Amino acid sequence: MIPDRVVELLHGPTWIQIGTRDEALRPAHALVVGAMVHDDRRTVTIFVPAARSERLLRNLRENGRVALGLALASHEAYQLKGTYVSSRPTDDAERTRQEARRAALLADALKAGYPPAIARPLVLGLAYTPGVAITFRAEEVFLQTPGPGAGTLLS
Amino acid sequence: MGILPDEIKPAMQGVIPSHVVTCSRDGTPNASAISQVYYVDPDHVALSHQFFNKTKRNIEENPRAAVWVISPETFEAWDLELEFVRSDTSGPIFDVMEMQIEAIASMVGMKGIFKLRAADIFRVIAVTKAVGERIPLAEIPGPR
Repeated sequence: MIPDRVVELLHGPTWIQIGTRDEALRPAHALVVGAMVHDDRRTVTIFVPAARSERLLRNLRENGRVALGLALASHEAYQLKGTYVSSRPTDDAERTRQEARRAALLADALKAGYPPAIARPLVLGLAYTPGVAITFRAEEVFLQTPGPGAGTLLS
Repeated sequence: MGILPDEIKPAMQGVIPSHVVTCSRDGTPNASAISQVYYVDPDHVALSHQFFNKTKRNIEENPRAAVWVISPETFEAWDLELEFVRSDTSGPIFDVMEMQIEAIASMVGMKGIFKLRAADIFRVIAVTKAVGERIPLAEIPGPR
């Protein structure tokens, strides 16, 4: 089960990245623009720009392995590892969710001290439509905040 | 002529954190933020090895890494495909990275936590602009 704090961050102004790999164990990266934890607290749907999804989905359909890293500007960080379930285009409600998240992410970046000249283009430049919703089942959650507890299995 | 374009250099100054994905021998990917990707030469970069042990263990098992960097000037992002070459615990690359990591740690309140253990040197196999990930600057609403 995904801990409360991690659910809060997945729904909040958090920088999220997905890691996958191909059959030759070559890793691949993509930025995630929003996430939603399902009621079972184990299933997660993430949103990525369609233009960045081709390699990601090919890897996931081949082997299903997902690593999802999330971090706040404060450096508080976690990682989920799990297995791919499904994908589909994002819908209107999800696009609205992504727009709200971008606004929150910008506010958080400014609060963390990023100058507006960096925070605005950095956050508002995140492409999100057309988007793909990717659902996976989280099997492990790790603390990843820099420090002695980094790598601790939380769930 | 090397593989890295000059325009990528601002993305390697540690202004905006970068991301790194590695993969263990058993095929489990690992995704982590990284303080800085250091430009060594047109064909090599160095990643700061501080404390993210899973990334380090994965690299020992499987030398491939995927790195994402973004320029704080143009806000263009790049994907790098890397292969591990060696780990430096002293020398000119280590010394410069150590100084820069200390500066970053001071700026972000992580002094005493961010400490460079090694400069991990990677060969750049491929570099591509992360097309489709960014909205062009001219299309972003409001003042910069």
